[in-house]
Amino acid sequence: MHSETADRWIGKPLLRKEDARHLLGASQFVADLRLPHMQDVAFVRSASAHGRILSIDAGGAEPGTVWTLADLPTIHPLFAGPELGTFRNAVYPPLADGKVLFAGQPVAMCLGANRALAEDVASAVWVDVEELPPVIDAVNALAKGAARLHDDWPDNGFIHSVITGGDIASVADAPVRMRRRFKMNRQAANPLETRGVVAYRDHRTDELVVYTSTQGPHVMRHGLSIALGIPEHRLRVVAVDVGGGFGGKNRLMPEEIAMAALALSVDHPVRWIEDRNEHLIASVHAREHHYDLTVLAERDGTILGIEGSIHVDAGAYALWPSGPFMETSMAARNLPGSYRIQHLNIDTHTVATNKAPLGPYRGVARPGACFAIERLVDELAHELGIDPVEIRHRNLVGPTEMPYRTGGGLRLDNGDYPTALDKAVAMIDLPAVRARQAAGEPDGTRIGVGFACYTEQSGHGTVEWVKRKSRVVPGYETATIRMMPDGSAQVLVAIQSHGQGLETSLAQIAADGLGLTPAQIVVRHGDTSISPFGFGTFASRSIVFCGGAVTKAAAALAEKIRAVAAHLLQTTPDLITLRDGAAHGPQGSIPIPEIARAANIRPEALPEGMAPGLEATATYEPPESGGVFSYGVHAVVVAAHPETGVTRILDYVVVEDCGNLINPMIVDGQIIGGVAQGIGTALYEEIPYDETGQPIATTWGDYLMPCAPEIPSFRIGHMVTPATSTEHGVKGMGEGGAIAPPAAIANALTDAFRDIGAKFCETPMTPRRVSDAVALARGEE
Amino acid sequence: MIDVTLTLNGTPRTVSVEPRETLSDLVRNRCDMTGTHVGCDHGACGACTVHLDGMPVRSCIVLAATCDGREVRTIEATRKDETFGVIRRHFHEKHALQCGFCTLGMLMMAADIIARHPTPSEDQIRNALSGQVCRCTGYMGIVAAIASAAEELRGA
Ligand code: FES
Ligand code: FES
Repeated sequence: MHSETADRWIGKPLLRKEDARHLLGASQFVADLRLPHMQDVAFVRSASAHGRILSIDAGGAEPGTVWTLADLPTIHPLFAGPELGTFRNAVYPPLADGKVLFAGQPVAMCLGANRALAEDVASAVWVDVEELPPVIDAVNALAKGAARLHDDWPDNGFIHSVITGGDIASVADAPVRMRRRFKMNRQAANPLETRGVVAYRDHRTDELVVYTSTQGPHVMRHGLSIALGIPEHRLRVVAVDVGGGFGGKNRLMPEEIAMAALALSVDHPVRWIEDRNEHLIASVHAREHHYDLTVLAERDGTILGIEGSIHVDAGAYALWPSGPFMETSMAARNLPGSYRIQHLNIDTHTVATNKAPLGPYRGVARPGACFAIERLVDELAHELGIDPVEIRHRNLVGPTEMPYRTGGGLRLDNGDYPTALDKAVAMIDLPAVRARQAAGEPDGTRIGVGFACYTEQSGHGTVEWVKRKSRVVPGYETATIRMMPDGSAQVLVAIQSHGQGLETSLAQIAADGLGLTPAQIVVRHGDTSISPFGFGTFASRSIVFCGGAVTKAAAALAEKIRAVAAHLLQTTPDLITLRDGAAHGPQGSIPIPEIARAANIRPEALPEGMAPGLEATATYEPPESGGVFSYGVHAVVVAAHPETGVTRILDYVVVEDCGNLINPMIVDGQIIGGVAQGIGTALYEEIPYDETGQPIATTWGDYLMPCAPEIPSFRIGHMVTPATSTEHGVKGMGEGGAIAPPAAIANALTDAFRDIGAKFCETPMTPRRVSDAVALARGEE
Repeated sequence: MIDVTLTLNGTPRTVSVEPRETLSDLVRNRCDMTGTHVGCDHGACGACTVHLDGMPVRSCIVLAATCDGREVRTIEATRKDETFGVIRRHFHEKHALQCGFCTLGMLMMAADIIARHPTPSEDQIRNALSGQVCRCTGYMGIVAAIASAAEELRGA
């Protein structure tokens, strides 16, 4: 590879290309599409948590306005979840098929000239359900005699699996054994734009066109093709502007399949825009982990092993493609966190309950695992009378030990975890916090400081996904770069940028590869008809995978540009440099547009035998299939009131290392946004169910979204340890911010009430939970 | 259906609506102005903020029929507005948007905050934004953009 294109754009905080349309109000989300004769859909959803459908009465609706599963064309089952014999399948029907398994499950769809009229039709539909006992608690769900969701299963377990590392028996006689239980409750991704679908048949192209607010159009097309039984070349899936996803738009959901099937059955476009109530009760739910863990340690705080169990409350069905087991296995495998913990024995249960199915949400499993391990470390510190910072230092993997294989089997590639911790301690000014704490607050609030370390696996390729038994193995990404006759270029990619700024950062990468400016490059994404196959944006993978593919494609294109330039300049390609929009040789330069013109429309100017055109496609998979690990330390100071239980964040520091940065401004934005979501998990957001299986949080009046007054200003300290295996030394980082806040804030609350020993072991730490924990510790009723 | 006569972005218009329709329905569906976004449809996110007689309101919980004789301004009317131009530039420079879905409501609210508080403190800005949800940015860029836009506009 030629190295003559010095980085001019990579590493710069370039302002985003995508901002202009959004700021003008000229962006286009699914709900903004306007098509002639389009009709709106309203779903009839189950009011029952668990039951058998006896009948569905259309309520006197006009023929053709109410659609049940029986009215749609045959839909093939989409088996989801790991390809493991021990994983029990639970195919999620697009509309209920005889049974309903959670309140909110789609049962029928109704058409109207607008949404209100469609809802009128829906409200008249009567679904007669024979109620069955609801299964609400993931631990009790496995008890003998518990009601069962799936008639052909022996119990409610999707899968039971023991995740081990090292040899836990070898440390069975550890001098310290400490057992704790933790719970991270259920929530939803809640992007500000809800899900939405517009679907119609395009007779000109003989395609079913499905606009959907998704993170991965190509994979969704594949799933739709299986479900509908129509070939992929007759399916086009487009994600226009997507108003946030965070994992919640990375599963093929029943509404998407039902809408596509409906579009095949009617002769006009159909539209469904999820409302917030639907999002809260029937979109992808996340988290809900129960941990019961025992840590084995030396008296000096050296942690030897962890044993215990994890129950993941996975909801009623497996979402395509991955199902819920990845959540469970990732939680277990990430338990050792950033530490030298070699022995692990975790009994994991992925459990079906009468709730909305579980899927990915920023951080996937790791916020729970981080909460568990980082709380355990603090608890152990208190138990042994060791300072929480000191006990971390005794256990953190050191830079000279890297690459380090954890007890969970993850290969931590590089970095300096102890220095990150020191930096966080310095930035938060621990002595000053301790002094304020000792002085006490006039209003009786308590000050506490908490730390949490985390790692974030990203850029993991084929081997890792195969290890997870994933049905779809997102082991690579593809990019095409096409240079037009005027020398401007399109970068065509299969990821979907929905806030990550990839239209800008990928243009920076391509600009450096081609000697252009980002303004001469446009990045197009999110549409199966414009790019080669790829997997989409999730798992903090886009900058590693797609950035790598863009780098490769740019290199291939640059090679051809140099060959043409060498011919025109009478020199050899290895002496040509692409820079500032021109090809420079030893004896002169030629503007790239001139080369582009020759290659595209004046083929007679090309060297003998060279194929015309300027286009290159490349795939990229990072050579280290286990991924590269961003990492960091969060430090937070809270003030909590013992009676009201209200917790305020006074200071929040993030020390973070995600390798080299393509666009530092965008990276900071991702960190801050992630931490804000993590604060939501820590303090506010929860979807509880009552004993009848009814979801309690059904509006943003009950589900608390953090707003500007609740979120502090953050201070970020960067460390840069370039990845050795990826292009440009980058590591993925989009999820990391959301991983550590619940752990750091719980540790800070524990610190605030250390004198009375109040325990904070469950998220979100609402005022009620905080004041209850204080009251319990004080021995009050 | 009810006929509502209002001034929408400076133009008088009469629009037929159902009694149950909201101002966001009127703007988005009857008038095809899609810059007003709907994030929750129950008054809890501020994405749908428009100015009604000069005051920011959540258009998803204002009944369209109550807007008869009133003046409504949506983001579409601000594209050439100089004050908004300054606010937009600061949003751009301070990375105050990611997915862009909350942005239009934020801009409508930002203009109001700056009009009411020419020298807003960080607390004032944060509290004034207490009904505006942004899921992506963690608010830091938004708060900074409003503060710096206010500063520039103060000097102007
Ligand atoms: S859409 Fe109106 S406040 Fe959320
Ligand atoms: S930028 Fe996505 S919700 Fe604010």
